[in-house]
Amino acid sequence: MNKRLWLVLAWLLVVCALLAHNAYLFAGKRIEPDTDILTLLPVQERDPVLQQAFTHMVDAAQQRVIVLVGADDWPQAVRAADAFNDVIAQRDDLMRASDPVTDKTQGEWLSLFQQHRLNLLTPQQETDLRGQSGEYWVDAAMGKLYSPFGGPKLGAWRDDPFGLFGGWVQARAQETPVRPRDGKLFVADGSRHSVVIPLTLRVPAFSIDAHQAVMPLLAHAREAAEASGQKVDVIIAGVVLHAAAASERANWEVSVIGVGSMVGVILLIWLTFRSFKPILLIMLSIFVGSLGALSVCWLVFDRIHLLTLVFGASLIGVAQDYGIYFLCNRVGAAKEMDSWQLLRRLFPGMFLTFVTTIVGYLALALTPFPGLRQMAVFSSLGLVFAWLTVIFWFPFLVGPNTLKKGTQGQWYKRSVDYWPTAGLNRRTLLAFILFIGFSAFGLSRLTFNDDIRLLQSPRADLVGEQNRMTKLLDTPSPVQFYLVRGETPEDVLQREEMLKRKLDPLIENHTISGYQALSNWIPSSRTQLSNRALVEAKLLSGHGPLWMLGTKINEEYNWAAAMRANLSGPESLMTVDDFLRSPASEAFRHLWLGKVDGSYASVVALRGLSMNNSSIMKGVPQGMEGVQWVDKIDEISSVLGRYRLYMGWVVLLSFGAVYLLLYPRYGKSTWRVLMPTIIASIATLAMLGAAGQNLQLFNMLALMLILGIGVDYGIFMHENTAHNKHSVWLEIGISALSTLLSFGLLALSSTPALQSFGLTMLIGLTLVWLSVPCFSRKETGKAGGAAENE
Amino acid sequence: MKRSPLFCGILVLLALISLPLQASPAIEKIQSLLAKPNVLCGRFDQKKKLNGLKSPLSSSGRFCVVAEKGVLWRTLSPFPNTVRLTRNEITQTQGDRVAMRLDASQEPTVRMINNVLFSLLSGDLAQLESLFEVDARTQGNKWNVALKAREPALAKAIGSISLDGGIYVKNIVITESSGDRTSIVFSEIKTGKGAMKPEESSQL
Repeated sequence: MNKRLWLVLAWLLVVCALLAHNAYLFAGKRIEPDTDILTLLPVQERDPVLQQAFTHMVDAAQQRVIVLVGADDWPQAVRAADAFNDVIAQRDDLMRASDPVTDKTQGEWLSLFQQHRLNLLTPQQETDLRGQSGEYWVDAAMGKLYSPFGGPKLGAWRDDPFGLFGGWVQARAQETPVRPRDGKLFVADGSRHSVVIPLTLRVPAFSIDAHQAVMPLLAHAREAAEASGQKVDVIIAGVVLHAAAASERANWEVSVIGVGSMVGVILLIWLTFRSFKPILLIMLSIFVGSLGALSVCWLVFDRIHLLTLVFGASLIGVAQDYGIYFLCNRVGAAKEMDSWQLLRRLFPGMFLTFVTTIVGYLALALTPFPGLRQMAVFSSLGLVFAWLTVIFWFPFLVGPNTLKKGTQGQWYKRSVDYWPTAGLNRRTLLAFILFIGFSAFGLSRLTFNDDIRLLQSPRADLVGEQNRMTKLLDTPSPVQFYLVRGETPEDVLQREEMLKRKLDPLIENHTISGYQALSNWIPSSRTQLSNRALVEAKLLSGHGPLWMLGTKINEEYNWAAAMRANLSGPESLMTVDDFLRSPASEAFRHLWLGKVDGSYASVVALRGLSMNNSSIMKGVPQGMEGVQWVDKIDEISSVLGRYRLYMGWVVLLSFGAVYLLLYPRYGKSTWRVLMPTIIASIATLAMLGAAGQNLQLFNMLALMLILGIGVDYGIFMHENTAHNKHSVWLEIGISALSTLLSFGLLALSSTPALQSFGLTMLIGLTLVWLSVPCFSRKETGKAGGAAENE
Repeated sequence: MKRSPLFCGILVLLALISLPLQASPAIEKIQSLLAKPNVLCGRFDQKKKLNGLKSPLSSSGRFCVVAEKGVLWRTLSPFPNTVRLTRNEITQTQGDRVAMRLDASQEPTVRMINNVLFSLLSGDLAQLESLFEVDARTQGNKWNVALKAREPALAKAIGSISLDGGIYVKNIVITESSGDRTSIVFSEIKTGKGAMKPEESSQL
């Protein structure tokens, strides 16, 4: 007895330590769970350049909030935008508007290119220079000369007589529909005028604190803008909006699932025991489990994700089984039996159920998803602490007279006596044939879909605004792009140019609307030299178009030579560094990755790409050295697919492992323990197939848990003796029902991943529960294990 | 956010319109002097003095300004060249060849350019005032106006514009900061239904 008291006290010490650590974490360190969904995804394997390209693009996109303030006329749009900005400016610790476009920035913009204008040609101009006659260029120059508004014109006529530089600048301008106007940025939407307000978040986009401050601020600013005039509309888009919506929903779901599950469990236990004591005891075990899980998880990972809490908390809920099992048996056992003796009798079964569940949870840790690993560790730890609480404390806290024998649920308890059992008879054969038939039908219809986008269900209104914005601003996708690498910056630029030549036909046939590339602004040295040589050969030299133009407008003989001298200027090349230093590169700097891992790399981003066309884009760089198509969505989806398959094998192997674990104790009747779970798993898959659901990784994870929990029921059922059969059946009913309550509520989640997980659990566990008695042993007087001989 | 603060040139030349400010008495007087026909056609004679060219370049042709439709600018001499500005497009044709086409869907400033040019040719000072500082003088039935862009970038790109006239705009002089100078004289102005020639109606 003394030894036992030591155990109780030792565990009390552990629990006190956990309490202190948790108090320190929450009150002292004020920890906050992560909400960034990306941290849950596998880290890009092997390729650091690719990884950097992606973080580069995503980081640039993530902290951005873009606002469009539209009205029927420009002055009203400007007033509304000012009203919006006034509100935002009050909190420049949260977000800040970009600097306004000034006269100075515009001048600086062009100066670099003006110095090297002969080096710059659009692809069309290059084609025309090669293909068109001298007459054509003389005509073009004449047209420009005489027309009062003959097209884009930058500076004096003599600096750009053929309009090549003007055309090049215009092509650059057309990379975006956004234009500076009155110190603001303007975009036209049909007949409406909109001010574009780019904002940069100064707090992490995925912090809940940030959401709580940023969202009301944006809402307030939106109201201010809309109140400033009639028919003002405001579109806001940014990662932070999705993040805020997702965490708000997750918070809501945590409360609903948590509270719902709790209320259900309390009700169930009260109905069974007519006492709150068991509830307090079970909550105590789950509470200690959660404390322990959080403490150790934090020590291991130094962070915790919100989804880990959502998911992990419901997994720890499984820990109630141990408590309920003990309590039901306590009520069912004879009064003479000491609680420690009872524990000794129950221990083998409790240990096996515990081990098999942990095996199931730890299989999750084998996946490469940091999020799943965290959940696995969190839930396993929770189970360990909850289980140990039951073992160390329950016998001490629950004596033979602590609980009254419940009178409720007698009909349920007795129902097990009338349950059909499997045997060598016609009825079993018929049921078996039906089962095989249905399974074959269902399984044959099973389909797979691993698309990552199925895992999220962004709010429709946010997606709508985002799409409108993307269409208006024609912004490139940050998750699908080409990665170009080379030994030197020149290599990279040359490869970009090769890639662009392949992309140009796709713009013509509207597969994409355009691309953003550094080489649009700063051609490779090779191209700069050849452009310059081309212009000099075709336009400036000898008796070419420039000279012909001179004679046409009656200029003197040396006019062409003077013009040529003025146009040619110093013969120098622009470098990537020149461009990166100039203000013109501000919007494009993120495309240049610079030197990574000994080589140089850049990104070529695509505008106007629809999802359906990404397979076309994938084929473009075929056979091109140093060019790679990066599709994060596709990649994650394929990882999900790989691990769905992988998890399928893990489930199968786990069945084998569990069989081996159980065999020493149950011998030839081990199949009886496993059969309900096997049947339930197959039938669940068949039902999902028959219902036309797509199978994905999360269904597999659910199967894994069904294995972990289902086997518990099998073990409990098998551990029973004649006089406690009813208590065991009651226990299985209570834990199955309460587990269904928590996971059933998960099926109500609006996050598709959780929903399909919940649905699978719902079907699978119900089937396990209902089929467990079918495989119980007929002869009830004899115990299956040594424990009974106590 | 990508943006292109470039694009001054003639494109930005014209940032925009609307917002009639408080008009000065002189502007109101000019507005009352100007006839505002739906269709206005006539002859123009243009003289350009460009830096780097010793002799001025002369050209002439016909122009039409049609309310709600746009502007047609047909250079006939020394060679045919037509600029057509409509709500959604600017096209320039030289002979039979389309030398340039700018679409509003590609280039959002197209509408503004057209609006400003329309206002310039029809003398709509109220519209121009949102973009330019307007220095207006009247003398009897004659008036003259100096325009200076309010935006420094715009002022740098297009310099200053002066207009004068009576019931119609008679002269426009554009002095660019580069020293290039364009002056246009309008004559033989006709309004109403018969003003447009058939080939002009079909083009606009």
